[in-house]
Amino acid sequence: MVTEPTSPTVKIRARDVSVYYGDKQAIDNVSIDVPIELVTAFIGPSGCGKSTFLRALNRMNDTIPSARVEGMIELDGEDIYRSKMDVVQLRARVGMVFQKPNPFPKSIYENIAYGPRIHGLAENKADLDAVVEKSLRRAGLWDEVKDRLADSGTALSGGQQQRLCIARAIAVQPEVILMDEPCSALDPIATARIEELIDELRTRYAIVIVTHSMQQAARVSQRTAFFHLGKIVEYGETPQIFTNPREERTKDYITGRYG
Amino acid sequence: MSSATLLLLALGLALAGWLSARARAWSFKRAAPGGRIAALPTYHGWYVALWIAVPVLLFVVAWNTIAPQLTLQSVLASPAAADLPPFGMKRDMMLGEARAVALGAARGVFTPEAAGLVEPFREAIGRYRLIGILVTLAMALLSGAWAFLRLKPDFAARTRVERAVMAGLLLASLAAILTTLGIFFSLVFETVRFFGMINPVDFLFGTHWAPDPMSDAADPSRYGSIPLFWGTIYIGAVIAMIVAIPLGLMSAIYLTQYAGPRWRKWLKPALEILAGVPTVVYGYFAALTVAPAIRDAAAALGIANASSESALAAGLVMGVMIIPFVSSMADDSIAAVPQAMRDGSLAMGATTNETIRKVLVPAALPGIVAGVMLAISRAIGETMIVVMAAGATANLTANPLKTMTTVTYQIVAMLTGEGSFDHPATLSAFALGFVLFLITLGLNIVALRVVKRFREAYE
Repeated sequence: MVTEPTSPTVKIRARDVSVYYGDKQAIDNVSIDVPIELVTAFIGPSGCGKSTFLRALNRMNDTIPSARVEGMIELDGEDIYRSKMDVVQLRARVGMVFQKPNPFPKSIYENIAYGPRIHGLAENKADLDAVVEKSLRRAGLWDEVKDRLADSGTALSGGQQQRLCIARAIAVQPEVILMDEPCSALDPIATARIEELIDELRTRYAIVIVTHSMQQAARVSQRTAFFHLGKIVEYGETPQIFTNPREERTKDYITGRYG
Repeated sequence: MSSATLLLLALGLALAGWLSARARAWSFKRAAPGGRIAALPTYHGWYVALWIAVPVLLFVVAWNTIAPQLTLQSVLASPAAADLPPFGMKRDMMLGEARAVALGAARGVFTPEAAGLVEPFREAIGRYRLIGILVTLAMALLSGAWAFLRLKPDFAARTRVERAVMAGLLLASLAAILTTLGIFFSLVFETVRFFGMINPVDFLFGTHWAPDPMSDAADPSRYGSIPLFWGTIYIGAVIAMIVAIPLGLMSAIYLTQYAGPRWRKWLKPALEILAGVPTVVYGYFAALTVAPAIRDAAAALGIANASSESALAAGLVMGVMIIPFVSSMADDSIAAVPQAMRDGSLAMGATTNETIRKVLVPAALPGIVAGVMLAISRAIGETMIVVMAAGATANLTANPLKTMTTVTYQIVAMLTGEGSFDHPATLSAFALGFVLFLITLGLNIVALRVVKRFREAYE
């Protein structure tokens, strides 16, 4: 049961997507349009499949041997599961930020320069420096780290590490950024900082965020999809979902009576 | 036989102590309000059992060394010993035969004069066996009773038993450390003797190695160990590592990153079989297959007088032998890199290969380095392959087709050679062993430190 919100340009279109881990079905016939220039939030109780679905959008499920995806997912009208799809290019276009900050055990500079180097986005050292600076500025981390770019990325605080990971994702010039509960390992102040950042970034990238916090979804997103038992129960504009849900189950979840 | 009886006796007593103490603790437990006492009844049982078994075991060990002396003294004091020769082989033989007969190990004496000693022996052995049993019983009862009397409902038997367990574990770990120390000191002692004859400077920095066990003079110019250490390092740390590091690392990467679970399940043990092949078998392989092949290949390439024993043959085979050491350490440390690192890299559009080269291997590098160091210290301590494939001539050369010899080979050669034990040629084996020991010890310490740093990396 899917409700289509009146949407601007669609960036990702998913139709009848099912994901299986071995025999277990984690996602059951999900269809959704993810719009450009907006933040889309996936909410729902633990184990409802929202992270699994998120990982289907950049084919990160491919790294799990038992995972299998059915249905169709399009990025700008291109089927990302077609056999000729270059997964490497896809992941460069659809970046990802994980639940726990996972900077590489390299310097701050090298953490950011990693992606541009792999994808050949900088011709020389000056270019690369510029990319690193721009990415760190966009992630709001530049002023804090500009004097210690050679320090290890793992030496930063948790919130800084997560912003470093966002900067790292930005450095590859993605079109979409997927965030899998990006604040769940952070304190409230660092969380607020990331939420501001998400708001600033949405004009440039389509952002999809999985979150356990309904307040967070309400604060940062313009579209919200409520997942339950591997299906989308309701998808609509965030204010509508939170103030006037159409489905009883959504209402129960939002008001805390369930989940 | 008598100590076996004593041991059985001790165990029986300990069991009795265990049962009775546990029963007593149960009676406390039943009487206690709410059925709570300070320790489970089993701990009370163990407490008493330990108090019986440990002193008795210590006594049995001591008694086993003392009792034969006491027996001998009492036999010598008997009138039958009066016409024993005062000393010498015949006296020892007679005593030995008589004792064997008395113990039932021999049917009769070979030396007729010894027959008179059998009876005193039999009598003394019986007496001391009885004393042993009585003392064992007395000790067991005394210390068992003392322990038993300490049992109370609030007696912390559990902590006492815990302490005893700790002491036992401590002793076990000390055994290994003390053995290492023992090895160290036995080497030091002989090494000092050697350095009394040959100046350490000549030994450590000389470039000519040709000890002559037949000559009486200690000629320092023949004891330069540099060619040996060069051969050891060239074969074990250079040639072998050129083989082992890339192959070991690549197989570890394949196993952790590419191989499916079923393939990995077969491949990993198969690789570990390499580590289980006896080194002497590798030696055959090196000497009979690899070394002639290398000689023929060298001849085909126009290299004149290639030796049929070469550093290259030994090094190559040693490298293969070392592969499992490198690959299992590399495997562990690559697998220990958090999945999040791998995901992070893949999610940025890196290929598996880029992820391995730029993220996983650098992150696992300390563990890999530690594995390589351990492999090197294993390789330079290796003997059999070198004995069979590398030759015995000490050559100071970088040509891998030449015969070369190593420290371990020379240790064997010197110790099993014709020199007398106090000859510098023989003693040089200890000095060589000592220096080799220091080198491998140093490598192991460095490796352990690197591993420690690695463990802290993802805290």
